[in-house]
Amino acid sequence: MKFAFLLPAILGMFPESTPPDFAGEVRPILAKYCFKCHGPDDGTRKGALRLDLREAAMSPAKSGEKAIVAEHPEQSELIRRLDEQGSARMPPESTRMVLSAGQKETLKRWIASGADYRPHWSFVAPKRPKVPTVKNTDWSKNPIDRFLLSKLESKGIAPAPQADARTLARRLSYDLIGLPPNPDLVDEFARNPSDKAYEKLVDKLLADPRYGERWARPWLDLARYADTNGYEKDRTRTIWPWRDWVVRSLNADIPFDRFTILQIAGDLVPGAGEEGRIATGFHRNTMINEEGGIDPLEFRFHAMTDRVATTGTTWLGLTLGCAQCHTHKYDPVTQAEYYKLMAFLDNAEETSAEILTKEQSTKKDSTLAEIARLEKELPKAFPGDFEKALEAFVIREKPATTAWTVERPILAVSNEPKLRIRADGSLRADGDTTKNDAYDIFFDANTGGVTGIRLEALPDPDLPAGGPGMTWYEGPPGDFFLAEISVEWDGKPVKFVKTSQTFANAWLGGGASDASRAIDGDLQTGWAANGKQGSRSVAVFVPEKPLPPTKSWGIRMNFGRHYAASLGHFRISTTRDTGKVEAGGTTPGAERAILSWPNPMPADRQDLVAYFAQVAPELEKERKKIDELRKTIPSGPATLVMRERAPDNQRTTRIRHRGEYLSPKDPVGPGLPSFLPGMPNGLNSDRLGFARWLVSTENPLTARVVVNRQWAALMGQGIVRTVDDFGLQGELPSNPELLDWLATEFVREGWSLKKLHRLIVTSAAYRQSSAARPGLAVIDPDNRLFARGPRHRLDAEMIRDGALEAAGILSRKMGGPGVFPPQPASVTTDGTYGALAWVPSSGEDRYRRTLYTFAKRTAPFAMAQTFDAPSGEACTARRDRSNTPLQALNLLNDPAQLEASRALAHLLIKTSPSPAGRLNQAFQRVLSRAPEAGESSALLEFVQARTKDFLSKPAQAKALMGLAEKDPIPNEALAEQAAWTSMARLLFNLDETLVKR
Amino acid sequence: MISPFETHQSLARRTFLGRLGLGLGTAALAGLSPAKGNTPADPLAPKIPHFAPKAKRVIHLFMTGAPSQLELFDNKPALTSMEGKPLPASVIKGQRYAFIRPDAAVMGPRFQFKKHGQSGAEISEVLPFTASVADELCIIRSMKTEQFNHAPAQLLLQTGFSQPGRPSIGSWALYGLGSETKNLPAFVVLSTGSGISGGSALWSSGFMPSVYAGTRFRNSGDPILHVGNPPGVDAKLQRETLDMAARLNQQRMAIDGDPETASRIAAYEMAFRLQTSAPDLLDFSDESKTTLEEYGCDPKQPTFARGCLMARRMIERGVRMVTIYNEGWDAHSDVVGNHRGNAAKTDRACAALIRDLKSRGLLEDTLVIWGGEFGRTPMVESNPSLGRTQGRDHHPQAFSMWMAGGGVKAGMTHGSTDDLGFHVVDKPVDVFDLQATIMHLLGFDHERLTFSHAGRDFRLTDIHGHVVREILA
Repeated sequence: MKFAFLLPAILGMFPESTPPDFAGEVRPILAKYCFKCHGPDDGTRKGALRLDLREAAMSPAKSGEKAIVAEHPEQSELIRRLDEQGSARMPPESTRMVLSAGQKETLKRWIASGADYRPHWSFVAPKRPKVPTVKNTDWSKNPIDRFLLSKLESKGIAPAPQADARTLARRLSYDLIGLPPNPDLVDEFARNPSDKAYEKLVDKLLADPRYGERWARPWLDLARYADTNGYEKDRTRTIWPWRDWVVRSLNADIPFDRFTILQIAGDLVPGAGEEGRIATGFHRNTMINEEGGIDPLEFRFHAMTDRVATTGTTWLGLTLGCAQCHTHKYDPVTQAEYYKLMAFLDNAEETSAEILTKEQSTKKDSTLAEIARLEKELPKAFPGDFEKALEAFVIREKPATTAWTVERPILAVSNEPKLRIRADGSLRADGDTTKNDAYDIFFDANTGGVTGIRLEALPDPDLPAGGPGMTWYEGPPGDFFLAEISVEWDGKPVKFVKTSQTFANAWLGGGASDASRAIDGDLQTGWAANGKQGSRSVAVFVPEKPLPPTKSWGIRMNFGRHYAASLGHFRISTTRDTGKVEAGGTTPGAERAILSWPNPMPADRQDLVAYFAQVAPELEKERKKIDELRKTIPSGPATLVMRERAPDNQRTTRIRHRGEYLSPKDPVGPGLPSFLPGMPNGLNSDRLGFARWLVSTENPLTARVVVNRQWAALMGQGIVRTVDDFGLQGELPSNPELLDWLATEFVREGWSLKKLHRLIVTSAAYRQSSAARPGLAVIDPDNRLFARGPRHRLDAEMIRDGALEAAGILSRKMGGPGVFPPQPASVTTDGTYGALAWVPSSGEDRYRRTLYTFAKRTAPFAMAQTFDAPSGEACTARRDRSNTPLQALNLLNDPAQLEASRALAHLLIKTSPSPAGRLNQAFQRVLSRAPEAGESSALLEFVQARTKDFLSKPAQAKALMGLAEKDPIPNEALAEQAAWTSMARLLFNLDETLVKR
Repeated sequence: MISPFETHQSLARRTFLGRLGLGLGTAALAGLSPAKGNTPADPLAPKIPHFAPKAKRVIHLFMTGAPSQLELFDNKPALTSMEGKPLPASVIKGQRYAFIRPDAAVMGPRFQFKKHGQSGAEISEVLPFTASVADELCIIRSMKTEQFNHAPAQLLLQTGFSQPGRPSIGSWALYGLGSETKNLPAFVVLSTGSGISGGSALWSSGFMPSVYAGTRFRNSGDPILHVGNPPGVDAKLQRETLDMAARLNQQRMAIDGDPETASRIAAYEMAFRLQTSAPDLLDFSDESKTTLEEYGCDPKQPTFARGCLMARRMIERGVRMVTIYNEGWDAHSDVVGNHRGNAAKTDRACAALIRDLKSRGLLEDTLVIWGGEFGRTPMVESNPSLGRTQGRDHHPQAFSMWMAGGGVKAGMTHGSTDDLGFHVVDKPVDVFDLQATIMHLLGFDHERLTFSHAGRDFRLTDIHGHVVREILA
């Protein structure tokens, strides 16, 4: 076959008579040169001309001319304008864009052929294509190969030969478990590299629990996972239970549709339970700004835009972020549709959930039951007559007890949180908070004589840290700060002359805070009770004189400091007592019981008994036992989750003009972009419905985007190379039929990622040798045709983990909080605002898989960052694969890398007596092959020379081996260790070690 | 039919080995030309900008934390007469503040100002050294930004976007211009104050290839991470290890034919050169005593003064972008004490740097930029519950910066604010205008220097920015 025949096909030159393919040839030209001003965006359209829709392009524009007249390029204004001079030329000179003659010709031929418009390829659901027939029937192992081979055959290219067994085993192992293969496995396969043996190896690796650890990593990149909040403070967060759930789910091969639904809306999936809650951590990986003085809702908005963009990239392969500020310039996503998508995700509370194991959970329940029982039985444990002691207590307390009446509001409103009036007259706030929340609470008529107003700040298990405040970040969880309280009585403001409280303490600033500061007219001062989270605190305000009868009255409360600090649960009471009116510790029921003694209501009496049992000095010993028991209640990590808001408190999503938080416009409800299929019947327009829509068979994008990413991970690049963009600006698939076949096959096989991975790695295409093919260097330099196997630098994690594994020190421990492998302390302290003392882990945590390394956003683990691992600040679908001197410095000089070299040297010396044996073993462990003759002689010489050198430099050898000057070791043994350590270090720096090939 | 069984030696010979020979060593590698044959193009190869640049290098003295314009460059005596009174609501409009409430009282300037040099630039008494080079400066008193929190405002100034994820201006410069040194990173970041709010996203290459990211020079341990040999590795062992690695890598390349292998060999050689050039850069023994005194630099202390001197040493060696973060100006309380302290740490070295660059003929094509991420309020910040008095809060509407050298007019003051120092009233320069101007000085039309990512041609200035032509020399 001759080149002359190949060229036209390669360069896309077709005979005149063939109409150009709209999606493949015409639209890319229109999108690149025209759509910016004549595309979907109404806001920037020029000359009332729209070229992305056929009908609009054929209607008269503002000028009166028709841009396109079907079959008549000579009458089409679009064509005429291309060759116009001066200001009439299109695209305008200011854009500095000019169409090539070939592009102009394509447009002419397209119009001449009738100007047929076709929808963008990826917006139409994939139809399962027929597997093509091929001439070479021997090569194919599965349908993938026939799709690829049919293309290769049409271009006269033969596939590459299969890679040798050892190379293949190593490639497969890095691809499936992210680690070099066990040398025994390689030997076994190399002895009998049959298809059957290969498949056995594949299945073994797929079943290895380290599979989940390897494949969790790209998912974590997309989810922008990190262990800190980001921005200036960059404090630690707990969301590793979500990371561990991802690993477990991948190992269990949870179908990708369920994997998706749980992560978007697991809290709403019936029966999903704790797993569903943990899974919602996916979209809790957004950053949280805790810098003093920020507007929390503004940064929540930024988190929302991140969620929309990340969802677009991860599932839809769409650059939705472009439509935040204006209608997308290229893809048919309007700005309103962007915010409608946001509305699907916007209605959840961002909270956390404690994760307990089954045993912990059972123990917690039983312990709590035991505590309740013991508390109930406290009176029985009373030494002496309980009833008598209770009576004495009542008599003692009665004179000091104020008769409080709980005031039940008739209405309570605020600027932001929703206030609900509970049956007991208390108020519970939920929803978002701001730093300037104001609550207005209205009460009905009062007969007057009121001598005090009481505010009880009450705990609630559903509030952060048990309340009473709603603070969940920037400040201490559960904190509140009452900046001002004012009462309007009978139309006039009430002047208070005395205040008291049970407890006062403010976080930061010396803690000067008490109830008097809540009536001083200064919003910067106020009352707080930090430190009493989870319990009740009381403030009492005494008016100048008893308040007169009134038809209505109201209270305004202002909250907040430099962080949002509104009350989440509280209650208002009044008293007409003329005695001492002060804040006390008794509960309302106990108070009533004391005041109505000896005939209290049974419920009040019960409260009193409980209260007395908690304060009676005689019961201290018994209470201590209960306290001890309470300490044994198991606790688990509280991982970040989403929880759908109550139906009566839905968040309003608004269009933001130019995408700016400060420019809210019309509210929008949830909805899908019109160019994509709508909600299938039976799905609600909520987060769960959206999640199900993402993985519905009608959705043309998700399956394609997912299989393409898996393909890219295994084959080196995607069938669509822009793995993050399947829109009009993205590249076209190099083999659309293969992509669609894979997408439909993936769904047909129940969205199983393991089956998909198996399918790809068992193809003959995957097994090809990766060596460059000089004959293809010109035709296909980028391997778009997959006429050779993948070859590229390994990911950061694989490089570090691979070295530790080869050295025999990689820990197998899975899951848990982030660990701290050694790195220079300066990485997380020097110049870092939210500095973190990086205390290297000891024991096996020093050598855990890099997946488990504590991920700090503003100062990421240096080794991983140097090798292009993302910081977790934005969704990453494709990592860069750079090749830099800083990487060389890391591998050569990082003392942590040296630890792997030392370990490998010790292992070699221990297990092989001869230098040749050692070298062979080193090669097998690191490169999965034996050294070649030339390598062998050169390296043995290298070891010999090093040994000689180190014999004369024992101090240097000790330093290399991490030994102290005084450590006793024979000189020969020392030199030997140091020489082999040098050899291991050299091996870990070889190009071949760092690449998958 | 293109046979699968061709050997790869031929390919390798044609491209890399042919020119290189097998007997390796540093000298042989020096001739490595990145742009030819099948070797991947070096993304840092020097490139020609849109037009002839005035500035070839930039030293950005980033005063993070945000200095008070009212205490340093923007004298507002009118504030003194209003001391203790609230500002009219018509002035404040809807501005949100980080800590104070909009009704906070006015606080007059706390330092004396005098006119300096022939240009008569008004500069505060706490910057006597800066004042002594007033005629070299172009002071911009009409800066404004749209962010009023540190991390987002710093990100906006460095990347054109208030959230992490975009390339920094240094990355744009490298992307557009490439590097003039093979012995040092072309974009270097120093930190001489307390911690940096915006974190490493400030010098990240964002969605650009990571070779364009800034490299942190650290104050403790290795200045560049792992630039020193690990314990037990001496120069000989390092060299021999590298030579052996290169030899084996070349054999591998002959078999696999991957041009990336050639890049790796080159990267290892550059790493080795870095190991020599970094200590050389940090060895201040060739600096005269006068120079050290001029800067106020003790070579052993990682101070701002040492940073400035190091910046000069770096640009002499071909480094393109140096950013020194000097965090600490965030005077929510005691603006007097804070600014006296920070001025004492930075003033002398700023002036020394300008003079030093000038005397070496470097100032004309080196752009020096001084300033913070926003300004500070004319209103006092005092908050008993936080123990704060006599401070100033964040103020995005107006702040001051100065530039010098690199094609900027010397001895000029540009723009002005109202009598209260609250709003810019004349010749406003927003963050995007500043970026557009810096890019212009580097030889770029900021609207044409784009990078394609996720279906969009991104630029540093997004859809904003106008070159401030009045300040161009």
